[in-house]
Amino acid sequence: MRDVLRFLAAWALVHESADEGWRAAVTRGAGLSPGDLERGPDDFVDGLAALVDAEKERLKHELAADGAGVAPTEGASDRRDADLTAALEAVRFDLAELRGRIESLQTSVDALHAERDD
Amino acid sequence: MSARGRAIAAVALRSGASAAWRSGLGLRPRAERRRAVARALRLACEALGPTFIKLGQLASVRPDLVTPEMVFELERLQDRVPAVPVDAIRDVIRRELGAAPEHLFASFDPEPIATASIAQVHEATLAAPYRSVNGRLLGAGARVAVKVVRPGVARLIADDLAVARRWAERAERMRWLARWGPNALLREFESSLARELDLRVEGRVGDRFAFDFADDPLVMVPAVVWTHTTRSVLTSEFVDGWLLSELGEAERAGIDARALATHGAEVFMRQVLVFGRYHADLHPANLIVTRDGRIGYIDFGIAGRTTPPQREAIAQVLVATAYGDADRALRASRALGLEVPEAVEPALRRGVARLMRAHLARSPADVRGFVTGFLGLLAEHRIAIPEGYGMLVKALVTVEGVARAIDPDIDLIEASKPFTTRLVAEQLLRPERLRERLPAALRAALAELMA
Ligand SMILES: Nc1ncnc2c1ncn2[C@@H]1O[C@H](COP(=O)(O)OP(=O)(O)O)[C@@H](O)[C@H]1O
Repeated sequence: MRDVLRFLAAWALVHESADEGWRAAVTRGAGLSPGDLERGPDDFVDGLAALVDAEKERLKHELAADGAGVAPTEGASDRRDADLTAALEAVRFDLAELRGRIESLQTSVDALHAERDD
Repeated sequence: MSARGRAIAAVALRSGASAAWRSGLGLRPRAERRRAVARALRLACEALGPTFIKLGQLASVRPDLVTPEMVFELERLQDRVPAVPVDAIRDVIRRELGAAPEHLFASFDPEPIATASIAQVHEATLAAPYRSVNGRLLGAGARVAVKVVRPGVARLIADDLAVARRWAERAERMRWLARWGPNALLREFESSLARELDLRVEGRVGDRFAFDFADDPLVMVPAVVWTHTTRSVLTSEFVDGWLLSELGEAERAGIDARALATHGAEVFMRQVLVFGRYHADLHPANLIVTRDGRIGYIDFGIAGRTTPPQREAIAQVLVATAYGDADRALRASRALGLEVPEAVEPALRRGVARLMRAHLARSPADVRGFVTGFLGLLAEHRIAIPEGYGMLVKALVTVEGVARAIDPDIDLIEASKPFTTRLVAEQLLRPERLRERLPAALRAALAELMA
């Protein structure tokens, strides 16, 4: 069900994000400075449309796979893999950072000790 | 009054008198007067030493607290001070790390590479290999930079703060000063200063920054050697290259200046918009162009933070600004806490549009000119600037300055457009954002179906 909603949302978003207000804003921006800003707004709308399209395709695939009761598409499992890698990297960083804190504390304690020995 | 209190008062009086004189005793135009006051204040900070230099530097990234003239004057604060004799540095190292530098390092250069009001930096080489937090191996003999807090600085700052606390108490009782909330300001300043005096904080921020940018081959962050780092000593990988502040024509010829400058702007955007942690004090003396053409980031003193909703609003402001849409920029600014009374709204919008035409709709865009004008406009309409907003706006100007130090013709707005635009688009498409927007999106979808 969630995927259906996501699909709907993505679909709706195509309309929403290219709404009149946004287009008007972009046009206003171009109107301010004919010449050097000419290409920007179009690039933006095009870029946005392309991204939405890509997302739509991906969502469609996932949806189809879920509906058919088959394993998720390659794209989805790739993404899950990437998520896992990112999570592992984050944990590894947190642990290493902790190790750094301990090393620094150890040095401070050693220094206190050395001072008493003097 | 203590001796230090009297000394501070004397410098303050002297610079007040000089500012009054320079500003023609109030007869000159207002902007000129404000510039004279700002200059006098900068010189006073330099004369008064570390506490005030730091205070000035912190104020220079806070246009929400001081006038634009002050912001741009204070960023020129110099903290060139005489070097501390190496024996005193050696004592600090022995006390902090438990042994003399000769025992801790394979070599230790008695000549400092840099001296500043709070710390002094010496070059050394590692005696044993070390694996950094981000997994990089520094071999025995690897060059490192050892940053040491000057002896006596903590004491001096504590004394200065004691004086300042008494003055803040008094100021709090005077109505015309009380609206600045001197006590609260002082507390904020004290905590920033305490963070800066603890070099471990800086080391951790650096490690995190290195982690965030691990996938970026152009970013170089010196690894921290934690076994040789404590509150007052920070040992990190030596970054070999040219300080951006000293980049000459010859060096510039050897690098792809345009690409590095554009990349620098993107790094900043990623910090602000993706990670929510950014360098708020990124000046050319904190950046090194390495011999292999990367950018080395050092000194993570002042850092800003952004929350996810703020990031989204900031991206909107940036894109709107890039496309010269004053209306949208101001609307998105509201989400960042900028409160514009309805009565002044149209005038402000016109003012911003005018500034955009004057400074941004030309090539190369002049972000600094735009921001200076914008801050002036807000002051004129008596609109309070939210803290994070001020810091960010200032940081943007700094990034432009840094990018220009690499490539004098860079257009920051043009350079960051593809990145910010893409980011806004991606933000709109994140699943959690989609769910948030779902009710509205569904309504839109239904309306579409019914039509
Ligand atoms: N890791 C490093 N590699 C090379 N030079 C460094 C390194 N760290 C500091 N320096 C030198 O020391 C100077 C001051 O260091 P910095 O960390 O910016 O101190 P401060 O905060 O006191 O200004 C820098 O401008 C640079 O020349």
